[in-house]
Amino acid sequence: MKIHVKLIATYRDHLPDGTQGNTATVDVLPGSSVADVLTPFGIPLDGSTVIAVNGLTVPLDTTVSEGDRVAAFSAIGGG
Amino acid sequence: MYGWHGRLLRVDLTNQRTSVEEIDPQVSKDFIGGRGVAIRYLYDEVDPGVDPLSPENKLIFATGPLTGTTAPTGNRYMVVTKSPLTGALAHSNAGGHFPTWMKRTGFDLFIFEGRAAEPVYLWVDEDEVEIRSAAHLWGRDVPATTDALLAETDRNAKAACIGPAGENLVLMAAIMNDKDRAAGRSGVGAVMGSKNLKGVVVDGRKNPEFADDEAMRELSVTIAKEVGADMLAGSSLREYGTAYVPQVTNEFGILPTKNWQAGTFEGVDSIDGPTLTEKYLIKPKPCYRCPIACGRLSEVPEGKYAGKGEGPEYETISAFGSGCGVDDLAAVTKANYWCNELGMDTISTGMTIAAAMEMYEKGYIPEADIGQPLRFGDADTMIEMVQKMAYREGFGNELAEGSYRLAEKYGHPEVAVTTRKQEFPGYDPRGAQGMGLLYATSNKGASHMEGDVVYEELFGVPVKEDLMTTKGKGELVARFQDAFALIDSSGLCVFLALRYVFSKERMILPTRLSQLMKFTTGVDATPEEVLTAAERVYNLERMFLLKAGSTEDTLPPRMLNEPLPDGPAKGHVNRLHEMLPEFYKIRGWDENGVPTKEKLAELGLE
Repeated sequence: MKIHVKLIATYRDHLPDGTQGNTATVDVLPGSSVADVLTPFGIPLDGSTVIAVNGLTVPLDTTVSEGDRVAAFSAIGGG
Repeated sequence: MYGWHGRLLRVDLTNQRTSVEEIDPQVSKDFIGGRGVAIRYLYDEVDPGVDPLSPENKLIFATGPLTGTTAPTGNRYMVVTKSPLTGALAHSNAGGHFPTWMKRTGFDLFIFEGRAAEPVYLWVDEDEVEIRSAAHLWGRDVPATTDALLAETDRNAKAACIGPAGENLVLMAAIMNDKDRAAGRSGVGAVMGSKNLKGVVVDGRKNPEFADDEAMRELSVTIAKEVGADMLAGSSLREYGTAYVPQVTNEFGILPTKNWQAGTFEGVDSIDGPTLTEKYLIKPKPCYRCPIACGRLSEVPEGKYAGKGEGPEYETISAFGSGCGVDDLAAVTKANYWCNELGMDTISTGMTIAAAMEMYEKGYIPEADIGQPLRFGDADTMIEMVQKMAYREGFGNELAEGSYRLAEKYGHPEVAVTTRKQEFPGYDPRGAQGMGLLYATSNKGASHMEGDVVYEELFGVPVKEDLMTTKGKGELVARFQDAFALIDSSGLCVFLALRYVFSKERMILPTRLSQLMKFTTGVDATPEEVLTAAERVYNLERMFLLKAGSTEDTLPPRMLNEPLPDGPAKGHVNRLHEMLPEFYKIRGWDENGVPTKEKLAELGLE
């Protein structure tokens, strides 16, 4: 199933070469978790990263569904 | 005395006299410095009911004990006065270079009072103090004024000044220092203009001594190394400035869009940090000795928006970009340059134009009043309005009063998204519940600089909060308000402070900040005692607010009654009523938001 992975700001560098903008679409197996989706991108999956699925904060073991948007950015910063 | 100089410079503009006074060491100890000591003086010397633009109001510039020290980002100064925009307390702060140079004059505070008969500026070179004519500078913009002030005094000095907006008493006029840094909010520049004070120039070599020089330097180096390691590892703040935040707030559906009619903006990709870095960034521009360098030196090289200067940062992008429905970053950047040059707060300026755009599109403001169409997304008209506001030309005269007065005049106050008549910064509280409580209870009107809980709700600093829960937000907001009162009183910048000098528990404690204070001032206070001093500052500010007559802690109707129509927070409003009772209880205030006698006694107030 297809999941949209949006990596914001400094994490954009972790997107595959040739990605347009900040979002890549990946194919994952049904039943995959947020962690399964993000692990291949090589971003830290700890407190230094903020992760959202469809704009909502969820635990890393949450199962994703077809068409979900998983976003991640470094917590180092502020507005 | 260590850390503080223990002296203030009083400038009587009416009689063109200056005098030096000692600051009671107990006041410095009880109110920390900066914002804290300034509110102590404002509260004691200014009737909270006074007309903010009258000679009876006072304008206070204040440095903190950590300003001008080795502490990383220890380079902020505060402007404290009664605001003409809100009628409440104003405290606006800025970095750059000016704050450290001001501290080196040997004074902790400047207090300006009265009104000069003709335009003047103040030149302070340690104990050599002069009030000089600024008649030849009146009408000039900020860069020209700054250049002239330094040419007439000392090229190595630093200057703060107002532009045409401050002279024309525009209610969101800023005080600009080092050309592009702004004590932006609440119209402090209009107060300066009302006093016929065009500029302040400072120089000196009086660095305060530290109580424990070795420990202070050691801890400063330790913190600087931690920051440096994070920057090398890849910091969004260094790479993109705060301009990367639109993507974050858009993702959570809290990016103010078209005057808060939506929480996501389809043009977000073209107004964000990577776009800025790729197209217009010359280089990051740090404040004096700052290891973070979130400032942006930028240039739009060609076209109708060509220009060069600093910015934009997140708040400017959310106001002039998504707020006004403009998806052209060059136009947003140009609006930012104009605000800097004319001396205006980008948040209130942009959000006021956004409110006018909504009122025009809904037919509430006739086109004849504006003189031309004013639609969302019309970047050229937006930029034109910025200039008209500064000079109060045509419809700019209405915009110069801010969105609340504008909306009220045209019979639709519900369009203004303000608290205490001050425009919201760029976080929609329908999707970030704690921010709603912060805006509603803020002593200075809506502001993220009053206790930015979005740090916790959005960025997970120090721990991630749920944006939509209300339980526990009362305590969180109260603690953040105190933390910001402490940071602003100390002279540090919040971008450093929350991450590096507070504990990393949910209810943050100023662990290393209290050490920095101790090594600097010699006052041995625990983190809890330091936080109590900040609570004292916050409560005294509350008392000033109440006496000024601004008593209701609420949000505008759009936030309470109109659910967000889009994005992850779709269908939600802010549930202020669920948070306010807990907040008052934690604060030791009654159900009307008034500090109880017990709380005031506990803090040694009244």
